[in-house]
Amino acid sequence: MNLVSVVFMILSILIVLGAVVSLLLKDLLASSVVFSALSLVLTVVFFLLDAPDVAIAEASVGAALTTVIFVISVKVTKRREE
Amino acid sequence: MKIKIVSFLALLVLLGFLFIMVIPSEQGWNIHEIGKPLRNPDVFKDPEGSKYDHVKTMDDYFLRNGQRETGSNNIVTSVVFDYRGFDTLGESTVLFLTMSSIYMLFYQLLRKKKYCVVFTPGLHKGKSRIVFYSAVFLFPLILTYGFYLILHGHLSPGGGFQGGAVAASGVALSLIGSSFSLDPTKTRKALALVEAIVLVLIVTLGLSGLSSSFLFNFLATPDSFLNSVELGFTGSDLTSGGILPLYSLGEGIQVFCGMSIILIMFFIIGRET
Repeated sequence: MNLVSVVFMILSILIVLGAVVSLLLKDLLASSVVFSALSLVLTVVFFLLDAPDVAIAEASVGAALTTVIFVISVKVTKRREE
Repeated sequence: MKIKIVSFLALLVLLGFLFIMVIPSEQGWNIHEIGKPLRNPDVFKDPEGSKYDHVKTMDDYFLRNGQRETGSNNIVTSVVFDYRGFDTLGESTVLFLTMSSIYMLFYQLLRKKKYCVVFTPGLHKGKSRIVFYSAVFLFPLILTYGFYLILHGHLSPGGGFQGGAVAASGVALSLIGSSFSLDPTKTRKALALVEAIVLVLIVTLGLSGLSSSFLFNFLATPDSFLNSVELGFTGSDLTSGGILPLYSLGEGIQVFCGMSIILIMFFIIGRET
């Protein structure tokens, strides 16, 4: 088992954990921040899988634009899920 | 009345476009078969053996002929903007529709007077100093990187969509940091106009290759004036790739304008509510 595959496994576990946490969190602002972090980890995974195009798209759309829109929506509506 | 005339003209143009599609000159008066390659695949012979001598699948065809047929070093971009250019056009149309629907959704709200306030730059109360100065410093860099990605889409990883999204994330950063003055109404209208014009230009670019098919890469044919560029790993010239850089530039501007409009609208609504 070489280093790259170990890193890859750790990142995959982090992605699944982040998805579950962002689903379970009741605080929607924290949830969107966790989702943004998940997108950043996913960017690294895409880069390790030799797909730099998708990595750039994921970094800009998933980590930046979606988070901004989510945060503004949370600010306009309610912060806590009922 | 005016709108009716304009929509009738647009319908007429669309129908005319359907009729023009029936007249490719090479095979008579037939519609070009969908998915059929335009030229015979002149297959690269493998010296090792006859295992790879003929094209079996479509990706094999792309990998062997993409660089020569489209003149682009990046095979992914040659698939996205040339072989599957029509899909990309549909994608940008979807983005345009999303932008228009958000525009329509907030239109009545945004016509109120309190939403027309000009954003003033500077350190407002309750704003972070770090965010303000980093936005001032990073916004030009992010914009430059985005347009670099757009312009070099046919040479290195990237392309229209990625570059436009990166540039739009720079706009988001500058909106959060409130580092530039911005008239929301004027900016919205200007960006919408640019987006619509660029979409029309992309369709025009597709129509101008209509002697073979819609969105045909007519600048990368051997007798074209742009095809004197040497291809291969060293042939990294910005003018290679025929219509690919132009299409990529249009797509990038379109994505940038659409995402910026969506962000500006959300930001105005979020700030004033």
